[in-house]
Amino acid sequence: MADYKEAPLASRPKTLDPNEYFNLSLEHRRAEEERAALRSNLKRQFQTQLNDPHRKALIEDQALNRWSYARGHPYPYFKPTFKTSLMGLMFGVVPIFALYYVFKTDRDKKEADIKAGKFERRFCLSS
Amino acid sequence: MVKFLFPTLMLHIHADLTNYRLMTLITQSSGHRLMIAMINVHLTLKMAQWLDEQHLNPYMAQTPYLPHFVLLTCWLLPLMIISSQHHMATEPINRQRTYIMLLTSLQFFLILAFSATELIMFYLMFEATLLPTLMIITRWGNQAERLNAGMYFLFYTLASSLPLLVALLLLQNTTGTLSLLTLQYSNPLNLSTYADKLWWAGCLIAFLVKMPLYGAHLWLPKAHVEAPVAGSMILAAVLLKLGGYGMMRMILLVLEPLSKELSYPFIVFALWGVVMTGLICLRQTDLKSLIAYSSVSHMGLVVGGILVQTPWGFAGALILMIAHGLTSSALFCLANTNYERIHSRNILLARGLQMVLPLMTTWWFIASLANLALPPLPNLMGELMILTSLINWSPWTLALTGAGVLITASYSLYMFLMTQRGPLPTHLIALDPSHSREHLLMALHLLPLLLLIFKPHLIWGWVS
Repeated sequence: MADYKEAPLASRPKTLDPNEYFNLSLEHRRAEEERAALRSNLKRQFQTQLNDPHRKALIEDQALNRWSYARGHPYPYFKPTFKTSLMGLMFGVVPIFALYYVFKTDRDKKEADIKAGKFERRFCLSS
Repeated sequence: MVKFLFPTLMLHIHADLTNYRLMTLITQSSGHRLMIAMINVHLTLKMAQWLDEQHLNPYMAQTPYLPHFVLLTCWLLPLMIISSQHHMATEPINRQRTYIMLLTSLQFFLILAFSATELIMFYLMFEATLLPTLMIITRWGNQAERLNAGMYFLFYTLASSLPLLVALLLLQNTTGTLSLLTLQYSNPLNLSTYADKLWWAGCLIAFLVKMPLYGAHLWLPKAHVEAPVAGSMILAAVLLKLGGYGMMRMILLVLEPLSKELSYPFIVFALWGVVMTGLICLRQTDLKSLIAYSSVSHMGLVVGGILVQTPWGFAGALILMIAHGLTSSALFCLANTNYERIHSRNILLARGLQMVLPLMTTWWFIASLANLALPPLPNLMGELMILTSLINWSPWTLALTGAGVLITASYSLYMFLMTQRGPLPTHLIALDPSHSREHLLMALHLLPLLLLIFKPHLIWGWVS
C-alpha cells in the first residue's frame, strides 16, 4: 500500500496514518499518497529556501502568484452565462436607470412645486 | 509665472548637462525643482489676496481660484524624482537623463495647461501630456502588462478627446473666439437642437474619461498599476485633476442651459461608481490596484460635485482634488516602498510591517486616515461640501454617497490593517530599514496636507 516514506523535513500527515486506512478504496489511497508526495516535495523546497543562510530575496510561491494573477485578470475567461448576465444587469444596468428615475422624479416634483409657488425654502447659508 | 515656467524649460537642458553621477543628478534635479516649487508656493500665498486674474500675456493667466493645480504640479515633480531614485539607480546615465527630461516636459505641459486662457492651447497641452506619460508607463513599467496598460491609457484618452476637438472648433466658428477672457462675456449660446446636445456631450466626454467616470474608468487601474512610481504619482495626483479642471472651465463658460437636464446620467454614473469601485477595492489583492480604484472612487465624488454646478459643489470638488492629489501620491509612494523591498505588489506578502518598520507605519497611518477622509483633514472638507451640495440637489443621493463614505473608510482601514498589522510573514528577511529619502518623501507629501488643516482658505476657492 504505502509507497510514501517520511522525509527528513516532511513528516507523515495524519490523513496518511495507516490506522485510518481501513475504509478507503485502493484507488483513493493511491491518489492520496500521490498528492501527499507532491505536497511534501513543495514543503521540502520551502523549508530548504527558508533555512538557506544565503537567501536575501522573498520566497516565491507560484501558487500565490497564479492565484493573484487569476484574481486580477478575469476578463479573458469571462463566459456569459445566465448568472453572470443577471449580475451584470443587476449591478450595472438596472441601478443606472433606477437612480435616474429616482432623481428625475424627485427633481421634477421640486420644479413643479417651485413653479406652483408651494416650495418652502428652508434657510440656506449657501448652496 | 515666468519665474517658474522659464526655469522649468531650462531644467530640460540642465538634465542634459549635469555631472555623470546619479546622486548629483538626482540631488541637483530635485533641489532645483524644489526651488521652483517654493517660488510657486510664495506666489500662491500672495494670490490669496488677489481679486482678479494675473496675466502673463493674453494667452496665459492664473486665476485666483484655480492656481493650486500649478502648485500641485510644481510641488510633485521633485517628489517624483526623489521617489524614482532607487529604481533608476541601476540604469545608465543617459536613460536617467531621458527619464528626468520626460518628467520635466510633463511639468512644463501641465503648467501651460493649467494656466492657458485659450481653449485650444488647453486642448493641445491636454493632449501633449499623454505622450511623456505613455513613454514613462511603457518603457519603465515593471511587468509585461505595461504595454497593454499604455495602449488602454493612450487610446481611451485620445479617442474621447477627439469629440472635444470638434466641439471646440465648432465653438470657435459660432462665437469667433476661444479665449476664456472673451468667452466669459459673450452672449449665452442658443442651444436648442439635438446636435447641440451632442456638442455638449462632446465638450465633456474627454474630461469625464480623464477623471475618470465610472463607465470609462478601465484605463486607470491598468495605467496606475503598471506605471513606475513617478508615473503613478503624476497620473493620480495631477493628470486626473486635469480632467476636473477642464470640466470646471467648460461648465462655467459655455455649457449653460443644457447642463441642467443632460448632467443627470453622468451624475448617476459618478455616484454609482463611488459605491461600485469602493466595493471592488475591498476585493483587491494588488496594493497599487487598490489605491487606483480608490482614486476612481474619490474622483466619482468630484465629478458629482462639479456636475451639480453650485458654488459649494465646485468648492468641494476643488478641495477634494487638491487633497486627493497629495494623499493618492503619498499612498503610491508607500506602496512603492513595499515594492522595493519585496518586489511584489501582493497585499498578502508584506503584512505586519508595524513590527519591522514602525516609522513607516506612522506615514501609512496618516495616509490611510487621509484617504478615508478623517476630520479635520481637507479630504473631509471637500467630501462634506460635495455631499451637502448633492443633498441640496436631491436628498436621495445621500444613499449612495453615505454608502460610499462607509465603504471608503472600510477599504482604507483594510489596506492599513493588511499591510501594517497582523502576523509578520516568517519568510521575510533582509528588509531594508526605512531610508531617510523615503521619510523625506512622505513628509513632503503629508505635511502640506496637515498644514492645510490650519489654513483651508488657501484651497477653498470660490466660497472664501
